[in-house]
Amino acid sequence: MTTLTDVAPPARGGSRLAASRAVDLLLRYNFVAIFFAVVLIATALSDNFLTFRNISNLFQQASVVGICAVGMSFVILTANIDLSVGSVVACGGMVASLLMASGVPPLLAALAALACGAALGAGMGAISAFAAVPSFIVTLAGLVTVRGVTFLLSNGVPVGGLPRGFGQFGSLAVPVLPGLGFPLLGLLFLLVWAVAALVLRYTVFGEYVYATGGNAEAARLSGLPVRRVVISVFTISGTLAALAGVLLAARLRIGQPTAAQGLELDAIAAVVLGGTSLFGGRGSVTGTLFAVMLLQVLRNIFNLLGLGSFYQMTITGLIIIAAILLNRAIDGRQGRR
Amino acid sequence: MVDRDMARLSPGDDAAPANGADAGRDGGRADPAGHARGSAPDGGPRDHRDGAPDGGRGTASSHGRSGPGSATGVPAADAGSGDVVLEIDNAAKIFPGNIVALENASLRIRAGEVHCLLGANGAGKSTLLKIIAGAHLPSHGTLRLNGQPRRFRSPQEAALAGISMIYQELDLVPQLTVGQNMLLGRVPRRFGLIDRRRRREIAAAALARVGAGFGPDAVVESLSIANQQLAAIARSLTMDARLIIMDEPSAALNEVELRRVFGVIRELTRQGIAILYVSHRMAELREIGDRVTVLRNGRTVDTFALAATDERTLVEAVLGREQALVERSARPAAIGSVTLDVRRLEGGQGLSVRDLMLRQGEIVGLSGLNGSGRTSFLRSLFGDARWTGEVILNGQPFHPASPADAIRQGVALVPEDRKTQGLVLDASICRNAMLPSLRRRRLLTHDGLRRAARPVLADLSTRFHSLDQPVRQLSGGNQQKIVFAKWVLEGSRLLLLDEPSRGLDVGAKAELYALVRRLADDGAAILVASSELDEIFGRCDRIWVFHEGRNVRCFDPDRDTRDDILKAGLVGADHPEEPLA
Repeated sequence: MTTLTDVAPPARGGSRLAASRAVDLLLRYNFVAIFFAVVLIATALSDNFLTFRNISNLFQQASVVGICAVGMSFVILTANIDLSVGSVVACGGMVASLLMASGVPPLLAALAALACGAALGAGMGAISAFAAVPSFIVTLAGLVTVRGVTFLLSNGVPVGGLPRGFGQFGSLAVPVLPGLGFPLLGLLFLLVWAVAALVLRYTVFGEYVYATGGNAEAARLSGLPVRRVVISVFTISGTLAALAGVLLAARLRIGQPTAAQGLELDAIAAVVLGGTSLFGGRGSVTGTLFAVMLLQVLRNIFNLLGLGSFYQMTITGLIIIAAILLNRAIDGRQGRR
Repeated sequence: MVDRDMARLSPGDDAAPANGADAGRDGGRADPAGHARGSAPDGGPRDHRDGAPDGGRGTASSHGRSGPGSATGVPAADAGSGDVVLEIDNAAKIFPGNIVALENASLRIRAGEVHCLLGANGAGKSTLLKIIAGAHLPSHGTLRLNGQPRRFRSPQEAALAGISMIYQELDLVPQLTVGQNMLLGRVPRRFGLIDRRRRREIAAAALARVGAGFGPDAVVESLSIANQQLAAIARSLTMDARLIIMDEPSAALNEVELRRVFGVIRELTRQGIAILYVSHRMAELREIGDRVTVLRNGRTVDTFALAATDERTLVEAVLGREQALVERSARPAAIGSVTLDVRRLEGGQGLSVRDLMLRQGEIVGLSGLNGSGRTSFLRSLFGDARWTGEVILNGQPFHPASPADAIRQGVALVPEDRKTQGLVLDASICRNAMLPSLRRRRLLTHDGLRRAARPVLADLSTRFHSLDQPVRQLSGGNQQKIVFAKWVLEGSRLLLLDEPSRGLDVGAKAELYALVRRLADDGAAILVASSELDEIFGRCDRIWVFHEGRNVRCFDPDRDTRDDILKAGLVGADHPEEPLA
């Protein structure tokens, strides 16, 4: 009864159609427009903004949150949430650091950390999927537990004495253009984003993620392995969080049990800011990429203007609210609620 | 009300032609008494009887609508008789983007009548209801309540004015008590605190008026749907409603529960309250309604006195074209190999099915009351409920562990509720249609998916603008076709249909069953569960009746009558016959 399509004929002028499509595209990818608007503002405010060096730094700084946010996108697309990523980042970094400090080669140590993150994610996902417990609760417990384990692992003190090569890895710049080095961490972030975008767009798994988030019951009755999908997205999120933890340890050259506290909120904010619906089924990792960079640019602007972190927090919060309201309005325009 | 009571004493009374509309109404009012014996009204004999006292008006009305209430084709014609509670004139609603949801609707509702609203999906019924209930402001047109022009800016304003809406999805808070729900937002206070005693009194008084068998302290979620509906009606009474709008109240009710709600409706009309009743089920409208207003494509077609109007006229008004009522169409007996042989299947809640067989190309209906086990039987076959027993599918033992397992073996389910169980509403048509069959692919390209989906959707004559359109935007009938398309694309050979036509209008229903038949002709075996016997009676090769979890008897629609089947559904079969081979 709520259908209006039969009433609205598709017969519209070609140019008007094109214009309306352009508006639709702009609305759909509004985060891109907003991103470039903020970049323009930043460029106007400071000559130092649009320099290769500054951009490189932005990517270097955004990489840890960014990689977590990509994993978080998968989770939120299935209408779940992962509050544990901050703790898993710390735990992954700590596992890698401890192993390296006891003489394990860096690559092996990193892989062990990733496996550890994957196991944590899979475990939380499995509890949520099989016991039908909301992932909010399971991962909230995970947030506390994993942080506790991380402190236990290191007795609460930072682990130093990491191999030199590992530390250099964290600040390595890859010469993308002659004479211009782009930070490896930033490249890894972009690589993770690209792989995730391809998986979501071109694989059956990606399609299953959207369908599970859109309507889990319909997906289940269509024969989709809904539980396996949920466990998989948490595994992806845990693995990427651990990867972010290893990269963070490399950048700080130290395993820090207190690292990345509250990072889960930054990641969630970025995912939502990027247009992914908290109710699942709608969104993209590309939106997440732009949102992560948008938040990073904002931070950069404040730094360039010499405004302190109090301003940063306040304005960032307000911008997130504005973005959510905008998305709501767009949903309304497209007839979704 | 006196004249009406008199009319009830003489149902065959041929009232003065000048006041034909009233005659029709009174005839309708008298009807329930004469009709109480048959548990489900069937169209045939009634049309006959309704036609007779009007001197053949009913039969003539298929030609030029000479029905009394519709002499001019405009409802205003009968505005003079009875106290008009609500008048709507030329109401239109245009949404941003020039989407016309309602073009020109007019409606007169009199005090103490059950006024029905009929129309195909997309005809504008919901929009009109929302305008009346204050959820939408009309773009054009006037709304008069008791003669006063009104503009309701919110549902609260409408409620204060005495218009109460009972939504299909009841808007009660399940965790609160009936009393709390009834006076939500209007709690009686004493010294600023809730006056609990007074609240209970008010609630109990209203519940007594609807004859509820539960008290104000009952928690809503512990009540049956029918009782929840009574609570919602009682809530309208506490608001002093003069007009109660009921949007498809029967969708979630079984026959017995519906009778109770009807009883309450009749009592309320006797007290002078007007009811605006929306339903797709003709038989139901005939039983409870006095007059019916038909909407088509956002316009009021006409208002008819129900007792004086035959089914064909109404169907024509709804569809806007001559559409023969569905008759039982002969099909050759299925002689294909046995697809499904349920020798013994026992599941939860007393489900116990024996010796149910289904051949290739056969359509078998499952009838019975709500809760008789039809749905749980289908769910069991689909691997979505635990069961024990022996079932053979295509000659192999069959015991699916999950829906995914059942699908792999060629079984498909069209679930009861397409919106929450059948479709991912915000996902595109193409994605929905491809969902079950994706697993056979590795990498997906959008072009590849479209290429696969398009011919099947075209074959099912689905109407849409673009394959990338979210299915939410489609009409109910087209949405259901997408659900079917999923299984056609998947290549399922055993289709389990659970209330496939729920919420569809007459035209969409006919199309849906034509599709079912085609799938059967192509060799699929089909089980259709439906609570509307009329619907499956004409379309199934055999009908199994379920009663309290058991398949009690198998009927052949060619030999048995609807009444037999209905009776078996109500009381079960004392001596179950040997099932037909």
